[in-house]
Amino acid sequence: MGDSRVSSAVFWVVTMVALVFLYAPLVPPLILSATARYQFGQVTDEPAFTLRWYVEMWDNPILVNSFETSVIVAVIVGLVTPVLALLAAMAVRELKVRRLIIILMLLPLFVPGISMGIATAFFFRELGIPSSLFSIVVIHVVWALPFAFLIVLTVMTTFDPVLLEAAHMTGANRWRAFFDIELPLIYPGVVGAAIFSMIISFNETIRTTMVQGPYNTVQTYIWSTFKQIGLTPTLFALMGLLIIVTFGLVLVLSVMGARQARREMRARA
Amino acid sequence: MTLRALPRLALLVLPVAFVLVFVIGPLAITVAVSFWQRVGFTVQPALTPINYLDFFEGVRIIVLERSLVVAPVATAIGLVIAYPIAYFLAFRASRHVVRVILLLITIPFLVNYVIRNFAWSYLLGRNGPINDAIIGLGLSDGPIDWLLFSDFSVYVGLVAAYMPFMVFPLWLSLAGIDRRQIEASWMLGANPLLTFLRVTLPLSLPGIFAAAIFGFVGVFGESAVSLILGGAGYELMGNTIASAMEVLHYPLAAAMSSVVVAVMTALLVAWYLGFDVRSFLGKILTR
Repeated sequence: MGDSRVSSAVFWVVTMVALVFLYAPLVPPLILSATARYQFGQVTDEPAFTLRWYVEMWDNPILVNSFETSVIVAVIVGLVTPVLALLAAMAVRELKVRRLIIILMLLPLFVPGISMGIATAFFFRELGIPSSLFSIVVIHVVWALPFAFLIVLTVMTTFDPVLLEAAHMTGANRWRAFFDIELPLIYPGVVGAAIFSMIISFNETIRTTMVQGPYNTVQTYIWSTFKQIGLTPTLFALMGLLIIVTFGLVLVLSVMGARQARREMRARA
Repeated sequence: MTLRALPRLALLVLPVAFVLVFVIGPLAITVAVSFWQRVGFTVQPALTPINYLDFFEGVRIIVLERSLVVAPVATAIGLVIAYPIAYFLAFRASRHVVRVILLLITIPFLVNYVIRNFAWSYLLGRNGPINDAIIGLGLSDGPIDWLLFSDFSVYVGLVAAYMPFMVFPLWLSLAGIDRRQIEASWMLGANPLLTFLRVTLPLSLPGIFAAAIFGFVGVFGESAVSLILGGAGYELMGNTIASAMEVLHYPLAAAMSSVVVAVMTALLVAWYLGFDVRSFLGKILTR
């Protein structure tokens, strides 16, 4: 037994070190954006604490536009992706070719961003469709779909199909049974997939740069500014803001997750 | 009945159609473009291997060679960190702890990894807090230069970018192992190490492979980490593809990208044939 306690301690240490390693890079943008002591790689003597960069960045029309584009794209991606994910998860349950559907849905996870980016760029070019919000949305949905699919698939397993049988027997057709019985029960998973998709869309850079055309998202704005002039206090403020927004969305997600977990426990009891 | 089932079937295959059109379609067109010919600054449909020859016999081959070293090393480091975490979550942690730790691992993964790399470039830089701490503790007289723009910083960025998501497939396959097989090994007198090597490890191979493919292919085609943390001239396949795009050499970019996608396809096909998807997603698909 002593053995297992030692190994448990080892695993805790590895996990904690890994978490510190993962969270460390989230701190500097927040600090640097509020102090502006680090500009273009140089240390300056700005006041110790200021929020002026968070205010001043909204004077930049390109940045404001890119923020709007990001929000619009994220909302559309958040609406489209969970529907596709839900249909795919239902297809896995009902069609014969489960393995094929699963591997197709997970495929975008394994394609490197730059390859997917240039492939989509060629695709739209050959079809004669100029880069637009549409091409940005498409490439974001492709990237978010595997994650949304896995979330919906996981939640669906908590649902007992016997309930659907019961609905059929009492005369409900398949759609009726789905909307009246199943959807209300798996709804948190679908909303979770939607939020997850929005976060992924909001944080995508490399794929987007290949199909952005004249548009900028917040991320492509940060990327191109970095490549042209380097890191500025405004960029750090923007990064800080994105980290805060992402955490806000995750908070919503985890509150919903906790509620779902409590409901499962009650259902079991 | 069949007529009424038709629209339903159409809806169910919609996601598959979406992936076929917007993932397989573009990747297939890229393969086609890779055989086209560049004439001046325009591109003409052709069937020439010139772009592949350009790549395999030109200076860019160094990038392929480097990627073939960096990708497996970074993947191995990622596995060594992710596996113990996944093992702990699968065998030692309560449901609540699993939920919390998986969420904690996911959050930084969700924050744009380009932003995280900028942060690393600050943390590891000459004037950064890590060098300050090293000098402050008297471990070194001046800033340590190999912390940034080096193999070290690139591996830090790559592991931070890909390791978190490697935990998930590992955890799925470990959690799906039938405990009775491990108990049987114990009862037959195998010690914990032998049990792990002969029973647990082989049964978690589908997860290890899935995590390894995810990490390997990602690193292989990486562009942001190497650009931000590698310094001038440090390129992985993603960078050399992007630079070919920037000089509008589309067929060459397509050829190099197709090499990356071919590696990915080969690995995925091997995984698909070698393992049953159900053994990996078992926890999700069966109850």
